[in-house]
Amino acid sequence: MAVAGVAEAVAVAAVAERHALLPAGVGVGWRPEIAGWVAGLPGPAFCEVIAETLAPAAPPRGVVELRERGIPVVPHGVRLSLGGAEPVEGSRVRHLAACAAALQAPLVSEHVAFVRAAGHDAGHLLPVPRTREALDVLATNIRRTQAELDVPLALEPIAALFDWPDDEYSEPDFLTELLERTGALLLLDVANVYANAVNRGQDPEAVLDRLPIDRVAYVHVAGGGEHADDPGIYHDTHIHPVPRAVLQLVERLVERTAGPPPVMLERDGRYPPAAELRAELEAIAAAVGRPAPGDTAVAG
Amino acid sequence: MASGIGGGTSGLAARQADLVAALVADGPVPPGFDPALLDATRRALLRKRAGEAAKVWPLLAASLGAEWPRAFAARRAGHEPVGALRDGWDIARALQRCGELGTGAAAELAERETAFRYDGHSDPRPRSRSRVRRMIAMLTGRP
Repeated sequence: MAVAGVAEAVAVAAVAERHALLPAGVGVGWRPEIAGWVAGLPGPAFCEVIAETLAPAAPPRGVVELRERGIPVVPHGVRLSLGGAEPVEGSRVRHLAACAAALQAPLVSEHVAFVRAAGHDAGHLLPVPRTREALDVLATNIRRTQAELDVPLALEPIAALFDWPDDEYSEPDFLTELLERTGALLLLDVANVYANAVNRGQDPEAVLDRLPIDRVAYVHVAGGGEHADDPGIYHDTHIHPVPRAVLQLVERLVERTAGPPPVMLERDGRYPPAAELRAELEAIAAAVGRPAPGDTAVAG
Repeated sequence: MASGIGGGTSGLAARQADLVAALVADGPVPPGFDPALLDATRRALLRKRAGEAAKVWPLLAASLGAEWPRAFAARRAGHEPVGALRDGWDIARALQRCGELGTGAAAELAERETAFRYDGHSDPRPRSRSRVRRMIAMLTGRP
């Protein structure tokens, strides 16, 4: 009994520590195109910046100003190719570490994906086969990356329209095993969970139940939708509004976490007027049960 | 068409290379994959690249209006991603060759041809520092 109690306390403390990396609340992905809008937000809980667009010696003025206001900024890598069969490139890892140092970031994040093979670039995050071989490759590249980092690494499972034919694991099992082997945290993209579940004909909430959400460091939310060329397929585009169904999945996630996790909006193009972006943040805040940036009252 | 990418038949490295070739270089669908879903992915990647190129080539994209994503896909499908600057540059030059480049887009192309030396195969190189400064000022809207 006592042992179980201690184990439980340790687990709760570990969860609290993970959440403490970033303040609970609503943040946003900083992009040059919306820098002015982000700068005008009274108080995003945190921001994220694409690591490959950042020069650690000279971060963009908008990012520097966020740091001066005490707002954490997380470098988010998109080109490391941790799932690539070739060893992760040292220069890319060092760049990510330098970004973390320059921003005094509490953590960094990357993807469970590969982006290039045999010197050829896909220009996008691609899924790895969920096999033991791919687990070994990922774990090796992740450990190599962690060795260069002074801060924790959170891994984001991607949205993909297809699976490899030789998968040996379900996505939740694959991820659980990967996080256990590497000690990495989880950057849970709720829109990716929604997209993959819908496109595989699964219930998103049932998938959520099987994911290692006790390891969540923070959460992504993004928009998407169907395209006229591909009826029946949900595309995680980051250039469309966040669908109601994704916000509802955020609500289901929060029901399953110890406290409201840090959550942020990712928008990568076709930027709407400021009021619409603001409304998206408020909708996310309501789903999490937290105040929107700058609000004093708890929304939702 | 995909020769040069992949080539092997076993091992994760070769299989990843074959998948990349299928998605961006007109390679064959690797065994066991769903052809329709790979095709949907291939087209989604082209749409994403079109969006990125439109940010770097706003006048070129605007000159084609709603047709931009399709025009982009028609000219860049089968060409692996080389970055938004080169993707748009290749399209602008191709349209210019057929006399289909609009006035604004032509000015945009001329500006870049002045600032950079681009051989069509490798990343454009700045012609001079002052021109690059003007170029950056123009792209960012900041002096």
